[in-house]
Amino acid sequence: MKLKVNNIHKFYGEGLSRVEVLKGIDCEINEGEICVLLGPSGSGKSTLLNIIGGIESADEGCVDIGDSCTDKMTEKELTSYRRNNLGFVFQFYNLVPNLTVKENIEVCAYLAKDPLDINELLKTLGLYEHRDKLPSQLSGGQQQRCAIGRALVKNPSVLLCDEPTGALDYNTSKEILALIQRVNRKYHNTIIIVTHNDAIKGMANRVLRLHDGKILKNIVNDTQTEASDLEW
Amino acid sequence: MRNPLNNRTFRELKSNAGKYIGLLCIILTVITIGSAFMVCLDGTSYSLSKSDEINLTEDGYFETFFPVKAETTDWFKDNNIRLVENFYKTIDNYDDHATILVFNNRTQIDIPILIENGNYVVTSENDWSHVPALKNDEIALDRVFAKANGLNFGDTVTLYGISYKIAAFTAFPDYTSLFKSNKDLLMNTTDFGIAMLSEEGYDRLPGDIQTLRYSYRFEKQLSKTETDDLNKEILNRLVSGGEAVSEFLPRESNQSISFLATDMGKDGPTVEIFIFLLLVIVAFVFAIIVTNMVEKEASVIGTLRSLGFTRWEMVLHYLRPTIIVTFVAAIVGNLLGYTVMIKPFLDMYTTSYCIPPMVISFSFKAILVTTVVPIVTMLVINVLVLSNKLSLSPLKFLRKDLKHGKQKKAMKLPDWSFLTRFRIRVILQNMGSYLILFIGIFLSGLLLVFGLGLGPLMDNYVDGIDKSLPYEYQYVLKAVPGDVGGEKVTMQPVETHFDFAKKDIEISFIGVDEDSEIFSNFKKSDNKSELVITSPLAKKLKLKIGDTLTVTDTYNKKDYTFTVKDIAEYDAAMGAIFTRSLLNELIDKEPDYYNSLVSNTKLDVPDAYIAKFITRSDMLGAAKQMLSSFDVIIKLFNVFSVAIALILMYILTNTVIEKNSLYISYMKVFGYDEKEVSRLYLRATTITVMVALFISLPLQALSFKAMMDVISSMIDGYISFYIPIKVYVEIILIGALSYFAINRFNYGKVKKIKMSDALKTRE
Repeated sequence: MKLKVNNIHKFYGEGLSRVEVLKGIDCEINEGEICVLLGPSGSGKSTLLNIIGGIESADEGCVDIGDSCTDKMTEKELTSYRRNNLGFVFQFYNLVPNLTVKENIEVCAYLAKDPLDINELLKTLGLYEHRDKLPSQLSGGQQQRCAIGRALVKNPSVLLCDEPTGALDYNTSKEILALIQRVNRKYHNTIIIVTHNDAIKGMANRVLRLHDGKILKNIVNDTQTEASDLEW
Repeated sequence: MRNPLNNRTFRELKSNAGKYIGLLCIILTVITIGSAFMVCLDGTSYSLSKSDEINLTEDGYFETFFPVKAETTDWFKDNNIRLVENFYKTIDNYDDHATILVFNNRTQIDIPILIENGNYVVTSENDWSHVPALKNDEIALDRVFAKANGLNFGDTVTLYGISYKIAAFTAFPDYTSLFKSNKDLLMNTTDFGIAMLSEEGYDRLPGDIQTLRYSYRFEKQLSKTETDDLNKEILNRLVSGGEAVSEFLPRESNQSISFLATDMGKDGPTVEIFIFLLLVIVAFVFAIIVTNMVEKEASVIGTLRSLGFTRWEMVLHYLRPTIIVTFVAAIVGNLLGYTVMIKPFLDMYTTSYCIPPMVISFSFKAILVTTVVPIVTMLVINVLVLSNKLSLSPLKFLRKDLKHGKQKKAMKLPDWSFLTRFRIRVILQNMGSYLILFIGIFLSGLLLVFGLGLGPLMDNYVDGIDKSLPYEYQYVLKAVPGDVGGEKVTMQPVETHFDFAKKDIEISFIGVDEDSEIFSNFKKSDNKSELVITSPLAKKLKLKIGDTLTVTDTYNKKDYTFTVKDIAEYDAAMGAIFTRSLLNELIDKEPDYYNSLVSNTKLDVPDAYIAKFITRSDMLGAAKQMLSSFDVIIKLFNVFSVAIALILMYILTNTVIEKNSLYISYMKVFGYDEKEVSRLYLRATTITVMVALFISLPLQALSFKAMMDVISSMIDGYISFYIPIKVYVEIILIGALSYFAINRFNYGKVKKIKMSDALKTRE
């Protein structure tokens, strides 16, 4: 799915404390691209991701998704947009603690019309042996793999990853990034990764560098570095 | 320096005001009702014991067909027993419905206390006064009967064409409960009353309606065994002395005196247990709320513990909301209990029982049960739960790893649908909350069973008597009147031991003619060693065909052992049915002996031959009267039970939502709509509530049955357990409707959970 972000403005607070966190963002992300949103804390990258994900609304502007635009969507349509098109991966995995690994993935499989085979996916993620364990019995990397599995099982056209390696060590981070790259190659979904880790930009097709609510740079990489070769 | 953490307590109370107000309401109601009830109970108990001393309540009475002999009177005197003539005249059909026993002026025993208009409460027994001397045209009337019949001070009461002016309302110590007959199951304040006249006034009434009652009082304090022995000795002396005794009733067996004390004796512990159970439930609800708070604030606790706060400081900190709420409820509850709530309880006692003005004073026991017990219960349960929860190391709190011992493993579930497994996981996750919810639903339902089931139960009881009673009129005879028609019956009271209540109870042996038309539907025992017992006796003593039963004929001092041959569905009597000839043989009477006549038409039996005349309506009329005196309390029970159910459902289901609010937010992000999220999280609660409602029904029915067994053990008869299907349906409907009201609210709460909550950076 191609995403077109049109002149997004977003404000937080009211009166004197009103702050503009996105100051007119324009960009396009093509279908099947890995797009890395780079920037320091407070640059507005997570807010932009949330707006693209239909979780937050923009105060001005909109995101074009195929034929429709997010600002004209009702709550029901936004839910359906997330349900049919999006997968989310969070920094702290956000797994449901009282569900097993398999059941956490089933949470999203339940929503999909044509979900991927869960056992196959578990094998791909290297979690098949751990499928009946609770999240608390897994390492951080395993938990993030489970979270990626949960996002992927719907076979979403867009995968939104908010700091997916933010809570992981160096080796596990690379393992997760490699998994994301493999997923992109296998399923051709558009993937947006929010990160403040500059090194990750190498694996992206497109890098959007944000600063103070604006896009400073919109770089298209002609070649992508293998995630396993990334260094920081 | 004041602990700065304390500032959080009021903020916590404010931010979770709904829950704390709900819990405050439950504790407040429990304490208010408990305190009012206990103050009333204490007051009644104190007043009764003082009345015993001041008004010289009898230790027993007997009635004879002829005045007792001088030797008998001397025997009593020699044995240090005060024997007093307590003669009365029976006014049947007063105002076409009531029976009044009019006593001759009493000065030496069972002296009535004056009750001035509406003055039912006093601060000391010194405020009591006896009925002033009556003129010969004045009458002192039992207050409860007078009130039930709309009689006022100064009104005229006409007895046998003679007018008496009501000069006083009184409480008779030997008739605190108005049982017309000691065999009655229910009091009857409308159709049965007591009155007293001056000697001259008494003499104005015809002499042939007089019953010779002698009341006695032991002049010294005796133990229970000594009392029992002396009572037996008195009866033996009367029989051996050739006195024509028609009735002998020691105080303990006299329901009119003992019922209130026994009733209170059973009510007290029942209410205390109920208060305690509800408090334990509330304590666990607090524990669940506080535990959730600890889990939510794990990293803060970890930080504070790392900074040097001790475990006990943390325990005390998290205890504060619980203790503040309980303390406020205890203070306000006791104030309301003593002032506002005492009224309906006083009304309940004063409408049903005729007692001296109640001496209400500070009740140490009420304070203990309604203040100390709640606070201690909350403290003990919450300190145990909290100290266990907070015993983990600061590091574990910082890591939010709040599991004790080994890491928890997932319970393996069968390969059911995802939704089913998800809901089971929610139920497993919230076991504690759901368990408390289950107990709450059970207890509130039990109150509802009582509130909604008592009416149908009593109707069923009356209906059973009505259907099985084969005659309209019964004449208990003093002497055989000649041929006046009707069927001849021998009635013989005997005693048997009632193991459950650890006491002897009186049952009736009924001898009817072999070819009786009236009793033609009932089997009769025609064998000396076999019994056909009536169904109430079978149920009360839990007797089956083939069991043995030993009875004692106290008048003839004989023991008999029988085998139960059959059970007759005869709800109107508690005893056994024989052929008359066999029963007469058993009790050493002539073959044609009889002491009662039964008939479906009124018989022309001269009054002089009648000891007692009982009609069908006499036997049936009391139940509704009894129910009306419980009206306020039953309504209170119903409202209270629904309130408990609503509050517990609100708090506990809310806890489940709060605990899962983050995950509900995730679900929304993933694309679940609000209905689907509700199906995941609220449906688990719905299933639990519905299962709890249905499972607790039989448990409530069993508990109610056990309560009925206890009540039946206190009375001479037996009230069969009966709850119509309608009541079960009502309980389920009330429970389900209460839940769905709460569920609507919860749905709104789920709707309000924002997706952005899932995106906040958290560890």
